[in-house]
Amino acid sequence: LSPPSCGAGPPQEEGGPAPLAGWGEHGQVLEGGPGRRQVQPAFVPRRGATGERWEAADAAAVPVLLPRAGCWIPSPAPQDILYRSGLCKKLRAGKSGAILDFTRQLGHFFVDHPEDAFGSLGRLLHKNFYLGNSKLQVIVSRSSTIRMTALVEDIDRLEARRGCPRQHLASRLRWFSHLCRDWLFEVPLGLLADCLHEELMQQWSNLLFDDSLTGGALAWLPPEDRGTAVGCLVHPGGQAMNHLYFQDVVLEELPRTRGAPAQFELSGRIQQVAAAHVDGQDFVGVRSDYHCGVWRVLGKRGAVPTPLQVIRTDVPASCLTVSPHLPGELSVCTQSGTVYLWSVETGLQQLRHDPQTMFFRDHSPWRWSDFTAHPRVLSCADRTGLQCLDARAPKRCHFDLFKVGEEAGCQQGERVVLPMYLGRAHPSQYLVTTQFSVYVLDERLPLVPVLKWAHMMKAPPLFAHLMPGKPGRSHKVLLGASRTQELLLLQYRDSFWGVSSGGSQSACQLAGTPQKLHSIAGCLQHLPTQLPHRHHLLQQRLTAPAAGLAATLQEDGPHKSMLIFQLSEAGDVFCQRLTHNAAQPPAPPSRDEATTAPGSSPLFEVPASSPQGLAAAALQYRHWLRALSRACKEPPGHTWSPSLSQRRLFTRKDLEGPAGPSSLQRQMRQRLHQTMKEGGLIQHWAPLALQPPPLPQALEPAGGLDPLSSRLTAAWAGDWEQWWEERTSFSVAQRRQALRERRRRQKRAQGRRSLSASFTSSLTYQSELSELSDTGPSVLSPGRPPILSQEGSPPAGSPLVHSPATSAAPDEALLSSQSLRCRGIPKERR
Amino acid sequence: SSNEHKLNFKKSKEACLSFIQDALLQKEWKRAAEFLTCYIESLEKDYSREHIGPSEMIWRTGAEILWHHSQSSMKEFSCFMEQMKTLGVKRYLKVCLEHVFHLLCNGQIDEAYQNLSLAESWRFGEQTAIQDKEMKLIQAYRGLLDYYSWFKQKSILLEHSEDGFSDSAVEQEMHGYFRKAAVNLKEIIKIPGVWDIFVKCYVDLLEFYGDHNEARQVLNEYAYNSKFPANPNAHVYLYQFLKRQREPKKSLISALKILHDIVPSHELMIDFNTMLQKSKKRKKRRLGLEVIFAALDYAGWKENAKAWSCLARQVKQIVISEKHLDWIKQEWNSRKDWWPAFHFSRYLAKRNWQENKSLSYEKALVAGILLGKGCKYFKYVSHQGCKAQLKRFRMLKKFVNRHNPVYLRISG
Repeated sequence: LSPPSCGAGPPQEEGGPAPLAGWGEHGQVLEGGPGRRQVQPAFVPRRGATGERWEAADAAAVPVLLPRAGCWIPSPAPQDILYRSGLCKKLRAGKSGAILDFTRQLGHFFVDHPEDAFGSLGRLLHKNFYLGNSKLQVIVSRSSTIRMTALVEDIDRLEARRGCPRQHLASRLRWFSHLCRDWLFEVPLGLLADCLHEELMQQWSNLLFDDSLTGGALAWLPPEDRGTAVGCLVHPGGQAMNHLYFQDVVLEELPRTRGAPAQFELSGRIQQVAAAHVDGQDFVGVRSDYHCGVWRVLGKRGAVPTPLQVIRTDVPASCLTVSPHLPGELSVCTQSGTVYLWSVETGLQQLRHDPQTMFFRDHSPWRWSDFTAHPRVLSCADRTGLQCLDARAPKRCHFDLFKVGEEAGCQQGERVVLPMYLGRAHPSQYLVTTQFSVYVLDERLPLVPVLKWAHMMKAPPLFAHLMPGKPGRSHKVLLGASRTQELLLLQYRDSFWGVSSGGSQSACQLAGTPQKLHSIAGCLQHLPTQLPHRHHLLQQRLTAPAAGLAATLQEDGPHKSMLIFQLSEAGDVFCQRLTHNAAQPPAPPSRDEATTAPGSSPLFEVPASSPQGLAAAALQYRHWLRALSRACKEPPGHTWSPSLSQRRLFTRKDLEGPAGPSSLQRQMRQRLHQTMKEGGLIQHWAPLALQPPPLPQALEPAGGLDPLSSRLTAAWAGDWEQWWEERTSFSVAQRRQALRERRRRQKRAQGRRSLSASFTSSLTYQSELSELSDTGPSVLSPGRPPILSQEGSPPAGSPLVHSPATSAAPDEALLSSQSLRCRGIPKERR
Repeated sequence: SSNEHKLNFKKSKEACLSFIQDALLQKEWKRAAEFLTCYIESLEKDYSREHIGPSEMIWRTGAEILWHHSQSSMKEFSCFMEQMKTLGVKRYLKVCLEHVFHLLCNGQIDEAYQNLSLAESWRFGEQTAIQDKEMKLIQAYRGLLDYYSWFKQKSILLEHSEDGFSDSAVEQEMHGYFRKAAVNLKEIIKIPGVWDIFVKCYVDLLEFYGDHNEARQVLNEYAYNSKFPANPNAHVYLYQFLKRQREPKKSLISALKILHDIVPSHELMIDFNTMLQKSKKRKKRRLGLEVIFAALDYAGWKENAKAWSCLARQVKQIVISEKHLDWIKQEWNSRKDWWPAFHFSRYLAKRNWQENKSLSYEKALVAGILLGKGCKYFKYVSHQGCKAQLKRFRMLKKFVNRHNPVYLRISG
């Protein structure tokens, strides 16, 4: 055993996460033979030795539990609290970090909780604020009431200009905020802003790294005797993850739930579930932020778990571990830096209280504690390292077990993420994970890790699970990350030659290559194709951060298999089975996961090799999907269709059209009936337009016809007098001539218009119409109403009816647009 | 633009790396190899400023693939490693070491030795602190291999001397190996660290040539120098050396005392306890009781029948002689609140009885004395023993019943 460097002091090595740092290194060689009394020396590598071969039995993880009713509420995503705009992108490129969208959140608060924000002053002042459009009418009220409409408009405008680098506050707004900033708010604005900002920072740091989940909220209580394969899965559930379930699970090809779970409702979100098997009983510790509880489960499955004790903490607890040595003993840490030994019989014993971190200054309030080989000695950890304390004399007896520093060859910036006692594999060994590496430590040789390996995970491993191997076989450690759902299987062997045979006692060897296991989200590509919004929901659900990890080894004669359970924040528990491949054939060409099309995976095909297992998996998926869609179906009251009620926009009077079908419609219908009766064909309506078109937009403003322009032209030419004479005499012949001319032009225009209308949308057509109608009446001289008067009895077969979009009576459309205009409703609002 | 091009290139490089990573983690060596051949292109335009550059990635992933790929051979691996050595000056020594490790693990000792010699003669400008350490390691490993050659010659020589003739050439060669090994091994163990394998070999060499003082000094330094990590093995080696030297009991006991202070749960504590029990001095026997109680505090010793029999024997002795009951009382005081649940629960009685009768016998004796005849563990085991008509369990019951007043004195 000889780590290449064994210095002291702070870590020297620079650099951040290295993507492939864990490969290709033996690190060191260990003596491989039993003792050195042999001619040819034998060596084994520290890393890179052959390990056991475990292969995934299915193409993806399979759900164990059906989703319960009540939909899961996803935790906030970065886009919910970050400021989004072009300006912001520019700023971020300049490495100024994330910008929290503070104003939006404050705005949300004001809108969502107006009563809390402005309650009393709002009530006092609401008479003095006027939000209407029209002017204040009563002169008496004018002195004590102000009109806020303009202010609201200013605010709207401000919203539209969001992100504009040159935005200036409207002076009116500034004036108003100056005036009332100090007294308008129920809670002083500064205080409120401080609280909100703090909360936002908290949410953001949680998004970056949420350590409250450390340890994981899933536990597996193995069957007491190996004969019956009924274990118990302890997991949180419910919309707020505040229900604790003890679910019996039968281990078969696929784990199957048996009976209804024992259920407890707790008063907080369950962050961690820890379990240990002591004295033939299982003790289950449950941590939420301010409460910790302990349950006892008797060895026989089906027995109802008994809650033993609950403690409440003032500061959120960050750790709860259950003693593997003594029944009813736990250790609790709080974020204030206090470590307690909690015994159900004797209560809490404070072992340490130190808000400062142990080895160097680190801001994180996270603390952890676990048991060691000695039942009275506890380890306690913060981000900088681990110390062991003797509970009988915690002030005097302690030693350093692990330190982020040169002794362990740490990198700069490396921090402890999860320590775990590996007592079930080796009584004096410890696992410590950081964001970069995993370390195995031996408390007999503190500070110098007996094994170190860069795990290369994308997110820090918050969950770990140990499956001890029998003597001579490797121990398996599962590491799990939360946000990325990564799962990694490692194997290691401890002290493979004891001191008596001359070797190094604390030598530890990483066996086999690390193996990536299926994540919950990985099954998405195997699911049948879904409708886009269902797919989105499913994706959101399946990619929820992982919240826990549990596993069990199953030996059925020569067949060994490993079942791995993974819990997501949505409360789903997925399971995957690995089977042990005793013979070590060269790796079979495995299916290329990346190229499988969604829905075309073997999970859903009729499989050839082991039809039962795969069919069961597919069936399980179908059940799960169905239950999910049932559980997540929104109640009918909440469905929101994207239709707008017109009643809000127009008054009933506005919308009132002429009663019954218009004469034109009537006529059209009649014609249609008749043609149908005859069995004829209406090729187009035009031939029937025998009479002049009934349209009121009669005149186009042509130069010669415009009385004003003709008069002006005459005046310009100097014969204005003559014009006047003509006008007053107004010969009948001229009038007739003019009329004929007009009609001809109209016809031409109508032809054009109907053609264009049939190609454009009804909307543009209508607007075209209304534009025309706007000009129409103004042109008409008061002395000539006849064309308009025709509206009441239009001739049969107007060419307008060509376009089906306008079949709803063009005159109506006309009428309404005109009448709306008359009633002062601007065109844009229609 | 060229900037965009760089960015795209970086992106595709990262994508390629993640493909390699995925393939490696799924043990798809062939797929990984294909991606790696694509990734090699990234060497051409290496703009990266990360502390692990593309050349290191290629070395690491390439080595990993060649370890596992079904069609790779040692020759190919060596060829690859030679190329990797030339890729980065700063990494030369590290890659050499890794190459040597792989050769050693595959039994190619001679090739490994050649590589070590080559690496040792490598010079490139000024060395960094890390390179200095790596050079020391290379020399140490060469020393280690020299030691193995020496050992080989020694066994040949011993065989020959058994046959009755001496071979001066072999002897000369052996001495040559000794000199080479001793120089290098001596150097590495001066640096603070955990050098168990080198220390053992060096001490073996020194002992063979009769340089016991030097060996003792080396072992003392290794065990007691405060700059070195608190390595229990160092104390074990010292103890074994002293034992070989037939040193007086006193120095053996003092060596083990220190080991006891560092690691109370060490396996040698049983030897230590027997040694102390035999002592005529009261103080030492007292220490022996402390040692065995302390060892049994640890979870790893819970089912160690040998340790329990040591404790049972000593407790029995004390009870029979009725002297020094206060020793037991004192030891028991700090344990009485948790040993009953830790060692003497009814569940454990059942299990110990099923799994190991003699363990349950020893434990029942201790339980009967410490907790009285009403103790669950004692009651269950003695009942089962009597039921199975085992004579010694009947004796046990009688013994505990006779000495029940002792329990009152201990607990009182």
